[in-house]
Amino acid sequence: MRHFSKLTALAASLAMALAVVPAQAGAVLDRVTAAGALKVATDANWAPQSFMNDKNELDGFDVDVAKEIGKRMGVKVVFVTPGWDIITAGNWAGRWDMHAGSMTPTKKRAEIFDFPAVYYYTPAAVAVHNDSKATKLSDLDGKVVGATTTSTFEAYANQDLVLDAAGAPPFKYEFKPKVVKSYSNSTTAFDDLRLGAGVRLDAVVSSQPSINDAKKAGYPIKQLGEPVFYEPLAVAVERGDPEFKAKIADAVQGMKTDGTLSKLSVKWYGTDYTVVK
Amino acid sequence: MSPDTIIQATNVAKWYGAFQVLKDINLTVRKGERIVICGPSGSGKSTLIRCFNRLEAHQEGDITVTGVVLHDKMRNVASVRRNVGMVFQHFNLFPHMTVLMNCMVGPMWIKGIKPEAAKKTALQFLERVRIPDQANKFPVQLSGGQQQRVAIARSLCMQPAVMLFDEPTSALDPEMVSEVLETMTSLARDGMTMVCVTHEMGFARAVADRVIFMNSGQIIEEGKPHDFFTNPQHERTKLFLSQILKH
Amino acid sequence: MLYPDTVESEVIVHKPWFITAMFAAILACFLALNLTGTTMGELMRPVIGDPVQSGFYGRFAIAFTIAVIFCLNVVLIGFAPLKLQIAIVWLELLLLFLAFFETFHLSLPFIREKLPFMITQGVVTTLYVSAISIVIASAIAILGAVAKLSTNGFAYAIATFYTSFFRGLPLLMQVYLIYLGLPQLGFVIDAVPAGILALSLCYGAYMTEIFRSGIQSIDRGQWEASRSMGFGFGLTMRKVILPQALPVIIPPTGNQFISMLKDSSLVSVIGVWELMFLARTLGQKTFQHMEMLISAAMLYWIMSICLELIQSRIEHHYARSKVR
Repeated sequence: MRHFSKLTALAASLAMALAVVPAQAGAVLDRVTAAGALKVATDANWAPQSFMNDKNELDGFDVDVAKEIGKRMGVKVVFVTPGWDIITAGNWAGRWDMHAGSMTPTKKRAEIFDFPAVYYYTPAAVAVHNDSKATKLSDLDGKVVGATTTSTFEAYANQDLVLDAAGAPPFKYEFKPKVVKSYSNSTTAFDDLRLGAGVRLDAVVSSQPSINDAKKAGYPIKQLGEPVFYEPLAVAVERGDPEFKAKIADAVQGMKTDGTLSKLSVKWYGTDYTVVK
Repeated sequence: MSPDTIIQATNVAKWYGAFQVLKDINLTVRKGERIVICGPSGSGKSTLIRCFNRLEAHQEGDITVTGVVLHDKMRNVASVRRNVGMVFQHFNLFPHMTVLMNCMVGPMWIKGIKPEAAKKTALQFLERVRIPDQANKFPVQLSGGQQQRVAIARSLCMQPAVMLFDEPTSALDPEMVSEVLETMTSLARDGMTMVCVTHEMGFARAVADRVIFMNSGQIIEEGKPHDFFTNPQHERTKLFLSQILKH
Repeated sequence: MLYPDTVESEVIVHKPWFITAMFAAILACFLALNLTGTTMGELMRPVIGDPVQSGFYGRFAIAFTIAVIFCLNVVLIGFAPLKLQIAIVWLELLLLFLAFFETFHLSLPFIREKLPFMITQGVVTTLYVSAISIVIASAIAILGAVAKLSTNGFAYAIATFYTSFFRGLPLLMQVYLIYLGLPQLGFVIDAVPAGILALSLCYGAYMTEIFRSGIQSIDRGQWEASRSMGFGFGLTMRKVILPQALPVIIPPTGNQFISMLKDSSLVSVIGVWELMFLARTLGQKTFQHMEMLISAAMLYWIMSICLELIQSRIEHHYARSKVR
């Protein structure tokens, strides 16, 4: 779901050109335990997942999750903030141990990374104008639906969505639109939707948080029905240290079991995104 | 080679590309000798003396300076150069140092002499060239004649075995020429070994032990000043002398 | 200064044709822009009535007023002595800039709150990364320049390859290459050293040319004098040539340092918390990035001005031996 910049391509191809040396089994865990510190890479510029707060410290949902994982592993957490391209290029070379930054665990990425745990999901939902006569998703059959171009949302509307991510919950196509219109971003799609029900669009498929943001910004739109599919987002580590992976998986599982993770989600999003409803 | 030979050149030849600048030069400079080299421009006289401290390389023949043979692969060229002082047409003082420092750096950096001692020597030689009061000025603040005298003092501070002068008065205003020549004359009187490339015939007549005339890279006449000026043998010499003594 | 004539020329801004042309140009310019909806329209309300209703009359009145004020200003400044002219023009341009920033409706309390952190973290990081880099770059530049001027084919080839490579690649790519590439060879370096290395290598390549031309600008007589006294290459270079080349080298090196200050922002991609990184990050949560960007811009500007002052001090120092 995060935008894929040109630099990612550059950095990734660079890393591919140079051989990827996998970490030794147990090596990362040993290093973390020995140092007593877990080095976590995250973004400093992506509220509310991770950003600089009033005290000029990193804060946000991803940051809190990482801190909690560290706490459960009995080590303190140190954050570093390299660019997204640098992180996804792999080959971390021990500069940091774990990435907590809402990465979608696609098959392609799984060639470089292990994903110990999916810790929340971004729900995709359908928005309609407040005046819309549609009451359920199947009412949108044969209507005009908008979505961001090349996004998973557009793929869903076109009924050719491939969610190859590990831990992605199954989904089904709830409606079959007549036309799917592509937009460069979700805002322009909402701008067309606000003109009125059926003026240019009957509905927009987008992420639930951005639909909520648009509603808050005064767009006369509402969510129709339940989310249509969920995109999993995971903690990432470099391949090759199953023991370290297991430790993190344990920690996240523990957070799920005792409700900590849900609490954090409510704190940052106002809703519990850690489970598929 | 006698022990008091300072410079000995034997069959020296040099080319710039295909152009031959020095042809079969034979010259011996003995201790205490004052030699003036003259000749038309382009005759190779500057090139010759620049070979004596190996600012230029010769290709054929042998040059021996203070007992050391100069050649392409020599490792001790610096030990020759510290014994050979050189005064340039354009002074070539170090403009970023004071006059005093100009005179101190050679002994300090090459001979490892302490600054206080070097300063003492420098002041002594500045006194000698009669400008001790300019010691703390920068070269650009001095007149051309004063700068050239500082350059002479700078070379003297190294206490060289021989001094080479490469047209030392050619870049000076006319009224400053004499002060430099006077300095050189007094040096000569004190027994300094000198090889001077100059057109100052008065100086040559008064000071030189030998005058050498060069043309097209060759020494074509050599003699005592009196004979050289009153009875030149070679046609080219006669023409040259008639031209520069005409006015 | 350009080479001034000894005869005073007429003041161009007092020539009628110039004033007329300037007036016409400004009038046309502001007629083309409709300013009735801006602060300017509000200020003109007593003359033109409701700005929105005023139509072409309002538009013309505004453009006319601006043109008159501007021309009057220029003509009056034309009477002032040189130093005063410079001061007034600086002040006016500065005020225009402030007025421009004023239109962003910046939150000053937010800036005041964030400024200390921007300075202690951002400015300090930017400065020390740049300062270390410029020192290393200068060292590389001396070696590179000497190698480029040498007759040693090996050194010459390496130096030319180096300058060609590092001048030919975008700095950002060098940052990536060093940060991601070096670990493949077994050298895992942190973000800050990687950034410093990239900046040093890149600027070292540019500065090689500066040092080379500086060394070449020294008269060969200096080499000859130095050599004739028995100084070796190192001594000649250190004590004779470089000190004289410095006045030639320092102005463009100062420029390089100033430009490096800004280029050091590229190391933010590998997560160095320097000024640009903070400017993009601090205001993001509360949508106050404009505040942070402008603050950072001002901080960069102030740093540049300080560097310019230091540069002129150094130039002054080296001009010493040229005073008659």
